[in-house]
Amino acid sequence: MRKYFFAVAAVLAVVFNITSARAEVNAQAARKFVEDVTKDGIENIIDANVSQQEKDARFAKLFNDALDMKFIGQFVLGRYWRTATPAQREAFINAYRELNVKTWSKRFDEFKGRNFVFGGTTPSSSANQIFVNSTVPMEQGEPAKVVWRVKQNGDSFKIVDIIIENVSLAITARNEYTAYIKNNAGGVEALIKDLQKKTTDAPKKKA
Amino acid sequence: MLKKLYLAVALVLVMGSSPVRAEETVPDKFAQQQDDNSMLESYNRAMFSFNNHFNHYVLMPVSRAYREITTPFVRKRVRGLLSNLREPLYAGNYVLQGNLKQTGISLSRFVINSTLGLFGMFDVAEAWGLKKDTTGFDDTFAEWCIPDGPYIVLPFLGSSTPRAAVGTSLGFIFDPVFWTTYHDANVNSKISYSYAALQAITLMEENMDLLNDFERNSVDFYETVKSAYLQNRKNKGCFGKDMSSSVESYDFDFDIDEEYE
Repeated sequence: MRKYFFAVAAVLAVVFNITSARAEVNAQAARKFVEDVTKDGIENIIDANVSQQEKDARFAKLFNDALDMKFIGQFVLGRYWRTATPAQREAFINAYRELNVKTWSKRFDEFKGRNFVFGGTTPSSSANQIFVNSTVPMEQGEPAKVVWRVKQNGDSFKIVDIIIENVSLAITARNEYTAYIKNNAGGVEALIKDLQKKTTDAPKKKA
Repeated sequence: MLKKLYLAVALVLVMGSSPVRAEETVPDKFAQQQDDNSMLESYNRAMFSFNNHFNHYVLMPVSRAYREITTPFVRKRVRGLLSNLREPLYAGNYVLQGNLKQTGISLSRFVINSTLGLFGMFDVAEAWGLKKDTTGFDDTFAEWCIPDGPYIVLPFLGSSTPRAAVGTSLGFIFDPVFWTTYHDANVNSKISYSYAALQAITLMEENMDLLNDFERNSVDFYETVKSAYLQNRKNKGCFGKDMSSSVESYDFDFDIDEEYE
């Protein structure tokens, strides 16, 4: 009897395309998505035999395609997102994106010869999200733990956070930026200017 | 030195416990403890700034000089030597944590690397499958479910919490280098200070590039370090077994403003 009930419920769900708030995330596909992103990054950027300029350009593209910057930007700005004007939101997301692209592309060399070893996935309490677990073997000692928070939207996936050794990049940025806005009379406007300044002041990477 | 350190920590805790009204009315579940305690935060920020200056003007130049005069090969040998000296401390803590397997591994590593590995300069044990894994009193306390407490910046030592500070102090006292020279106060202080300095220099040499990079990209370096330090510790020992306290369980399902979607 129960069996039938579940069968009927399943059919109904499919027929009426009921999407609950806790819609199932395709774990297999999410894992493959992150694997492909890291593979692309290592093979076509870090290990590629092209100029640093080309590497930076490729990385910027990968970063934009793989990460949901609007989602991350909104999270990172915290309670100040609501009071920010649409123009400020746009400017903040752009400034935050550019600083991140710059920061990460400087660190490519350190990642040379390393690789991600993918483990399983962990369900998330947030809707349409899942964690993809991986480790990075280190020269000495324990491998580093890297967890990817992935959000599913229809058939496509986006990374919304990277958690390295329990440290979430999104939460760290959120703590940093909300503290800055709180302690700074200039508010969001000043933060955007500072982020832009950090991006342009970043020392150029030797080719 | 240690006594003064305790005094400073105690003083901070007492000062910090006076209730201060948080000015924010809207609670932010991701906000850090600074909202609860502005006295502690102003002390922390001042000490952080002092440490940061000390690092930039003293420790980093020395560490850079150390990097100049040594090769990666030599630095690896020094690191091995220093970490081998602490292996008995790891073993002791694994006993306290009830982890007999790791105790055995640490003790075997100490015996093998101290002899065949030339006082730890070469990690022979690792090649035999005895992988290095470090622990300390702080991990033991976490295993015993002792809560962490607020973020405190210690003079010279940097980021800490009450539990970590007690763990670090016990780590100094039970360090084999400290207690094997304890019978002679003169030798003890000389060796202990040089040993601590060497540890600080090697640690800084390894981490200063990353640290400088973080600082360069941060608009509030104190907040970045604090956030990362606390998140990293959150899942230690008995606290990691409970998924609800894990950093991964934070709700990332906030209201999306429709106009922006």
